[in-house]
Amino acid sequence: MTTRQTTDDLIRDLAARPAPARFHPTAAAGGMASLAALGLGLFFAGLGLRADMAGAWQHLAVQAKTVLPALLSVIAIWLALRSARPEGHIKAWPLAVPIAAALALALQRLVVADGPRLAELMGNTAMACLASITLLSALPLAAGIVLLRRAAPTRPVQTGALLGIAVGAFVAGGYALHCTEDSPLFFVSWYGMAIGLVGASGAYLGHRFLRW
Amino acid sequence: MAAFAASLSRDCPALPMSVRVLASGMEDRLQQDDLWETLLARANDGDGAAFARFLHIVTPTLRAVIRRRGGGLPPDQHEDILQEVLLAIHLKRQTWRRDAPVRPWLYALTRYKVVDAFRKRGATVTLPIEEFADVLPEENAAVPLTDRDTEVMLGLIDARSAGLVRAVALDGKSAEEAGASLGLSAGATRVVLHRAMRRLSGFAERMMK
Repeated sequence: MTTRQTTDDLIRDLAARPAPARFHPTAAAGGMASLAALGLGLFFAGLGLRADMAGAWQHLAVQAKTVLPALLSVIAIWLALRSARPEGHIKAWPLAVPIAAALALALQRLVVADGPRLAELMGNTAMACLASITLLSALPLAAGIVLLRRAAPTRPVQTGALLGIAVGAFVAGGYALHCTEDSPLFFVSWYGMAIGLVGASGAYLGHRFLRW
Repeated sequence: MAAFAASLSRDCPALPMSVRVLASGMEDRLQQDDLWETLLARANDGDGAAFARFLHIVTPTLRAVIRRRGGGLPPDQHEDILQEVLLAIHLKRQTWRRDAPVRPWLYALTRYKVVDAFRKRGATVTLPIEEFADVLPEENAAVPLTDRDTEVMLGLIDARSAGLVRAVALDGKSAEEAGASLGLSAGATRVVLHRAMRRLSGFAERMMK
């Protein structure tokens, strides 16, 4: 049987090759977080934190603007790294916790707002917000995809999307320290859209580069 | 766990036979898992012999998985898929965590590669061509890759490699003969040929798309 022979040859060949590079999930997460933090640091150095930071931090909405994305980011990166191993099947529902809290906050604002709600939702800096979050996410996301090529996700699109959400949310939480638009209607919509865009990019990159 | 199963089957003769058989089956499997895990751990530390043994030991299991899922494909493709799985085990072996059981990891990896392999080959039912050989017209025989295509592709790689490929693959010379005329050793010729063929198959894949 000739096929049997070639399989034995293949095994001999594979055994002679050096073991491939190891996959370090914590190093991957650390690398991405450092790159994202570096980008935000440069952004703050150029454009600064919001001037009224100390006073504004008293408000729940201002805290939520940073804390909810940060929470989303931590959950998403944890899920992404777990899904990066073949046997790692994940349940995505923990992501719903910060998302539900954000939606509840926006809904509550929608009910109690007294001015024109559409103007409040549109704000004045929506495009700057979208552009900043997506651009600052590009490099850490690309790095994350490269680092995860050593891993073995059996659902590459899902893993890529989670990676994108993790990076987008991390950057959004940092960008919030610069942004002075404090209405939940504004930040839930636009931060949410930016995180969604980065997540979609991650899904696409996962489809392209995380299959093996 | 293995020790527990062993003591259960040894020390408790009063247990019903079926329970003792079950326990000893469990014991075998756990010992087997221990062996698989030891071998793969040593392989990942750079022990090639351990890795070869690991691949040999898991091959029957992989064959069974492929056979079970591979109803639509002819058996001769099963061996190809097996080799794809073995290659994937090598490339991704470092994603196995030493403190985790090896079986779920191996099965998940195998499942992914097998599904992928079947998808790549298309969901179409492949029928053995021999049964239709006398019905099919002959004139299509040379269509897929014409001489012109071959020349175009050979033009894409360097002249020396193209010459070797032409001599060996098209004119049917041996690697030694073809290399001697260029002053290359047989080993060096094979390396050049191998690289050339790999580049050519890359081009071919792109041309097909």
